Amino acid sequence: MLTLENVTVRFGGLTAVKDVSFSMGTDQVLGLVGPNGAGKTTLFNAISGLVRPGGGRVMFNGVDLTRKPLHSRAHHGLGRTFQIPQPMHELTVRENLLVAQRFGAGKVDHKRLDEIMDFMDLGDQADRNAATELALQELKRLEVAKAMATEPRMLLLDEVLAGLETNGKRHFTARLQDMHKRFKIGILIIEHDIETVSSLCHRVVVLNFGEILADGTPDAVFRDPEVVRSYTGGGEDA
Amino acid sequence: MQKRMIVALALFYVVVPVLLNGNNYILSLLVSSLIVAGMAVSWALLGNLGGMVSFGHAAFFGIGGYASALLVTKLGLPVMVAIPAGGVAAVLASVFMLPALRLSGPYFALAILAYAHIFKILATEFSSLTGGSAGLSSIPGLPDIFGFNLSSRLGAYFVVLSLVLMFCWVYGRIRRSDYGTALRAMHDSEDATRVVGVNSLMLKSWMLFVSAFMGGLIGAFNAHVINFLEPDYAFNSAWSVLPIVAAIFGGYRTVYGPAIGAVVIYLVDQLVFKEIMSTGHQLILGAVLAGMILFAPDGLMRLFKRKPQEARNAHT
Repeated sequence: MLTLENVTVRFGGLTAVKDVSFSMGTDQVLGLVGPNGAGKTTLFNAISGLVRPGGGRVMFNGVDLTRKPLHSRAHHGLGRTFQIPQPMHELTVRENLLVAQRFGAGKVDHKRLDEIMDFMDLGDQADRNAATELALQELKRLEVAKAMATEPRMLLLDEVLAGLETNGKRHFTARLQDMHKRFKIGILIIEHDIETVSSLCHRVVVLNFGEILADGTPDAVFRDPEVVRSYTGGGEDA
Repeated sequence: MQKRMIVALALFYVVVPVLLNGNNYILSLLVSSLIVAGMAVSWALLGNLGGMVSFGHAAFFGIGGYASALLVTKLGLPVMVAIPAGGVAAVLASVFMLPALRLSGPYFALAILAYAHIFKILATEFSSLTGGSAGLSSIPGLPDIFGFNLSSRLGAYFVVLSLVLMFCWVYGRIRRSDYGTALRAMHDSEDATRVVGVNSLMLKSWMLFVSAFMGGLIGAFNAHVINFLEPDYAFNSAWSVLPIVAAIFGGYRTVYGPAIGAVVIYLVDQLVFKEIMSTGHQLILGAVLAGMILFAPDGLMRLFKRKPQEARNAHT
């Protein structure tokens, strides 16, 4: 169970995330949506430890992670991906996953790595240089595969579908659903595409100006006039 | 690979000593070049694996030298015990450098440079212990072992050669380990490695300690070879700059490149360039290095490694 209690992040005079509280279980796929600058990635950074919240707490499975260093989150079962893929330079796809497994899950299991690579359609790319020889879609899959190699209970996916064409997006979405069901991994995903969020997520939290504007099922949230106004930047017909 | 290694070891331990025994001048140059080689491997380990460019390795060299010399002269420790203790002293000193690990790029380089300067000032000011700017003289040399005089040119050659080869072996082992893979991964994507559970600060700290130990050990060995130390010499910036030049020349991303680079540039400079220009011969060395950076930025080792591949490509 991931629980955020009044999480607040400030950058100087700017409050990027203000008193955000919600809980989600590892049996859920939760979409975090909102207009650009709403504080979604900042909230991800606060949960994953890239920024330290100015207030509030981040709890995961009863452990207070708020002050714990970034690398220890993976040891507690919390994985994340980056909006702009960050492959480990100089390393092959397999080595990327090996580092994640060795240091995140604390073991080396090549059979499991093969499973993960096959699951994410990276089996043929195992020996290719991750930083220089992969296309965007493959890099996005590598981001998820790396996170999976740490054996997480919960995954934070930051716009992992952005930039993919329609078919690629559908395929990737189905793979994420499969991952959630087969490996019992909870997913918190930042995504702009309403259709994708509606098909993938059980629940949606809308952020606006760093605060929670709505929280509920995709159907209910995307019909909320306040959400439509803020999220689409237009009127109800937008 | 194993065959080439045996041939190289036979060359270093048998052929070179047989050919050069009695030629103290060349042996002295070889010992000096291997001292630089040890520093170059120490620097490359931190630079390549740790991703931290140090401009202050002279600190480890100087601390190792002073610690070993003082342990022998003041406490009466045997030289062969004091030399590794010099490495340990450099590790202890590097603990004070840990806060600098939070810095990166030029900020780290400058912080380490400042630390080196601080240790030089300490060596000068604590004159009751270190002899101040006058330094320490009559530092005992290397002992005899099984009747073999290690303080002879040939003995010193064997000792420093063994140290440098041991450094290369350690460097290679770390590089090939999971820790080495994680360290390489950290260079351009530290957050990406930390987020999958790599404790980057701890790994970098270990690289600093190992690098400091190597630098201290070589500095300690050197103190017992030259039998004299003073702060301007022991903490001279040359001990920071020469290893960088050698490592880049040889290929700092390879295991043996830094050591080979050091031996090659030192010997070529002393035996060839110095003959051409008795004063200012470093100018030629500088020009060669500039050419190397421009035309073979990966260094000497990669240059040789690329040749067969290029030849194959030319035939396909």
